Amino acid sequence: MTISKITTRKHFEPWRLAGNILLTGAFIAVSAPFLWVFLGSFKTGTQLNNPTLILFSPNLANWTRVLETGILQAAFRSVIVGLITVSIAIIVGSMGAYSISRYKTGGSTARFGILTAQVLPPAILVFPFLDLAYRIRVNGTLVSVVAAHISLVLPVVTWFLIGFFDAAPKEVEEQALVDGLDRFTAFRKVVLPQVAPGIGASAIFGFVISWNDLFYALILAPGNSATLPVRIAGFNTFRGVELGAMSAAILVSVIPVLIASFFIQRRLVQGISGGAVKF
Amino acid sequence: MSFRARMMTPLLVVFVAAIGYPLISSFVLSLTNYRITRRDETKFVAFAQYKDVLQDHAYWSALAVTGTFIVFAVALELSIGLMIALALQNQRRFRDFSRSFLLSPMFVTPIAVGLMFRFLLNQQLGAIPAILEKVGITYDFFGPGRAIYSMVIIDVWQWTPFMVLLLLAGLESLSKQPFEAAKVDGASPFYTFRRVTVPMLAPILTVAVLIRSLDASKVFEYVYAITRGGPGTETQTIQYFTYQTGIQFFRLGKASAMSYLLLIMVISLVILLFKRIEKARLAS
Repeated sequence: MTISKITTRKHFEPWRLAGNILLTGAFIAVSAPFLWVFLGSFKTGTQLNNPTLILFSPNLANWTRVLETGILQAAFRSVIVGLITVSIAIIVGSMGAYSISRYKTGGSTARFGILTAQVLPPAILVFPFLDLAYRIRVNGTLVSVVAAHISLVLPVVTWFLIGFFDAAPKEVEEQALVDGLDRFTAFRKVVLPQVAPGIGASAIFGFVISWNDLFYALILAPGNSATLPVRIAGFNTFRGVELGAMSAAILVSVIPVLIASFFIQRRLVQGISGGAVKF
Repeated sequence: MSFRARMMTPLLVVFVAAIGYPLISSFVLSLTNYRITRRDETKFVAFAQYKDVLQDHAYWSALAVTGTFIVFAVALELSIGLMIALALQNQRRFRDFSRSFLLSPMFVTPIAVGLMFRFLLNQQLGAIPAILEKVGITYDFFGPGRAIYSMVIIDVWQWTPFMVLLLLAGLESLSKQPFEAAKVDGASPFYTFRRVTVPMLAPILTVAVLIRSLDASKVFEYVYAITRGGPGTETQTIQYFTYQTGIQFFRLGKASAMSYLLLIMVISLVILLFKRIEKARLAS
């Protein structure tokens, strides 16, 4: 045992070295664009014309200008849309997923329907949303964006949750029923806590999908209730002139997710290996 | 109503309202000449829009552009992603830090990524062309014949992490026994990878490729942020083309027909692929 351990160790070292070189390369590839944009957000117009300039005295003008454009309000709207979308998707999705997983409700049709909903091209749903929004006069508001995001997030979240309920053991729940809890209480107090990591992972995933979406938000609410991606896309029209302010705007959207991703990464890997990739 | 039906009802209602209704409504739209600017002139035209789309050279060209993009992007993401996932799995120090950092691009809103790379790769203002210039290479990333591959680079930067996430989760859920057996038998790491890791990971690899391909078929933000379809129509992807038809030219009827045709193609491909997988599973 000891001998084999030593030999395999020797064997693995060059691969480990190659792996570390690869990871270092990936690390540089991931951080370079972030760093460059970070530097750009502190540069003046003239300094921006020198793309490889690294040492300069930082300038806060871009940041103050970008904050005046209402970017924080746009970020706030994105958070609201994301939270409402995810709350509805998780509540409705977890109940339905439990029914599908435990009682085989809808059989393979239900599972297939949820899977198919994930491959729908977004362009297929967006025009009816736009048309309906015009008719009931909610066009350009967040109501239509939330509705569209639910169509995007709900199938994914439900699919994840079915996997988690499939993987959860039945015994505890059966014991709870024997102990006299009614089924809904058993679901709420016994089953849900069991799949809590899965619900967390699905909620995060759903939120990220909503937070990142440009396509629906751009079409349904391009004006005063623009979400963060739409507002950032708006800097596009200024071309090179506003490059500094745009760098700052990009960072406003990047920094919170970078911080969040740091905290959720482990849970996400666990959550996904817990059931979501078992098709 | 039974318990299971009561649990299912909310999902069913929301599903029908948010997906079923627009799906049917968009099919109805595709049978008309609906334009949002001329709503009073809306007429039923049966399948005329579909005929129109199928005869439109630009539609086929957009499909070809999207196909090229998917093939190159997903192939690169799969190979790089698998290597990084294996390296991360064997990593000893800084595990949490390197995982969260390397996964971070997938959390950034794609429009921000598009704009970031638009300037990073810009000929006058970008750092990469400036550095290349210093070693004597002049390369226009968004020039004719190149722009689509620059889009691939951007997609690889943003979505390889997603591949890593799926594959890492897959690797960590594999049972340890076959690997220990291979170790005891003195199999080389490369042999173990080819004969143990890949076959065991095969179902997850397939799912990962499928998810990424379907996602890549929706590419829109990078085109919107950088090229707006140009040079010429070299980067006019299907999603961007549909957006233009529906939003800039207000032809919702035609745009709906375009997305329905796409849906039919996508679903046929998915079903074909699933049948293949089933066959392979039965054969082995």
